[in-house]
Amino acid sequence: MTKILAVDDSASMRQMVVFTLQSAGYEVVEAADGQQALDLAKGASFDLVLSDVNMPVMDGIELVRELRQLEAYKYTPILMLTTETSGDKKMAGKGAGATGWVVKPFNPDKLLATIKKVIG
Amino acid sequence: MTGPAQPRDLPLALKGFEGITRYWDNAMAISSAKLMPGEVYVSGKDEMITTVLGSCVSACIRNPKTNVGGMNHFMLPQIGAGVSMLDLGGTAARYGNWAMEVLINEILKYGGNKRDLEVKLFGGGKVLDRMTIDIGKRNIDFVFNFLHQEGIAVAAHDVGDRFPRKLLYFPHTGKVKVRKLHSTNQATVVRREATYLQDIKKVPRDGDIILF
Repeated sequence: MTKILAVDDSASMRQMVVFTLQSAGYEVVEAADGQQALDLAKGASFDLVLSDVNMPVMDGIELVRELRQLEAYKYTPILMLTTETSGDKKMAGKGAGATGWVVKPFNPDKLLATIKKVIG
Repeated sequence: MTGPAQPRDLPLALKGFEGITRYWDNAMAISSAKLMPGEVYVSGKDEMITTVLGSCVSACIRNPKTNVGGMNHFMLPQIGAGVSMLDLGGTAARYGNWAMEVLINEILKYGGNKRDLEVKLFGGGKVLDRMTIDIGKRNIDFVFNFLHQEGIAVAAHDVGDRFPRKLLYFPHTGKVKVRKLHSTNQATVVRREATYLQDIKKVPRDGDIILF
């Protein structure tokens, strides 16, 4: 079963994301910030990471940077799911090694189609 | 491109909020941002944010430690009969979640965390007698639920009832003035919200997706 790590500091947003992913048949593990996600990623393996950008403790960009340094996550698709639309932030995400940038509010069907595409 | 002459220079808008309509309010002698349904405005300056609410709700949120605060103005789209109105996992909540998250994130960008925030809630009136579903109540329930889930307390609220409201918010001090409007103003408010509701129903306002 395809396993996704969903990272967001907002409980409401996590609930919505998890609902969308689970209804498409994915197995989902949740994390409330970048540090939690990094710890979880080190202890298990995931087929995709879907992460918010603005979070306390460790933000999404830093999480991508940390994950890309791990052998197991060098090529794992990492999608950012964020309210951020600014070009600077997108470039920072790209620079850190993110696979793509999804701006909220997200359309569930389009998000799932994008996930399918990057998981390959 | 020249706009109407300004009696005073308006302070520079924070990044991302340049598109919001602002003017110099002579009566209150303050720079003022005028929010339409679906918009969000955040300021770190001594400004006023105004909006008119029918069944829509506005959250007025500020961080007293940084003096950055703002307002949103939203309603949940009506997806269809039988859809659970409080289904936070569902499509109906998308716009509400977005409006709340953008407002909170933009304020916290200038420092602090969720526990610092002072939240006041307004609107959600049952402004149309012939409405079969109480859209206002649905919006009120959503916003209280959202804040509860995020562990954020509500400092004050004036919601529900049958009147539209005119709201003046001062994010620098957290002060709010609410005026209940009577039927003469009701038609415009109802029309504006109906248009907004149609817009978000017809063309779901989704964000872009890019792959690097």
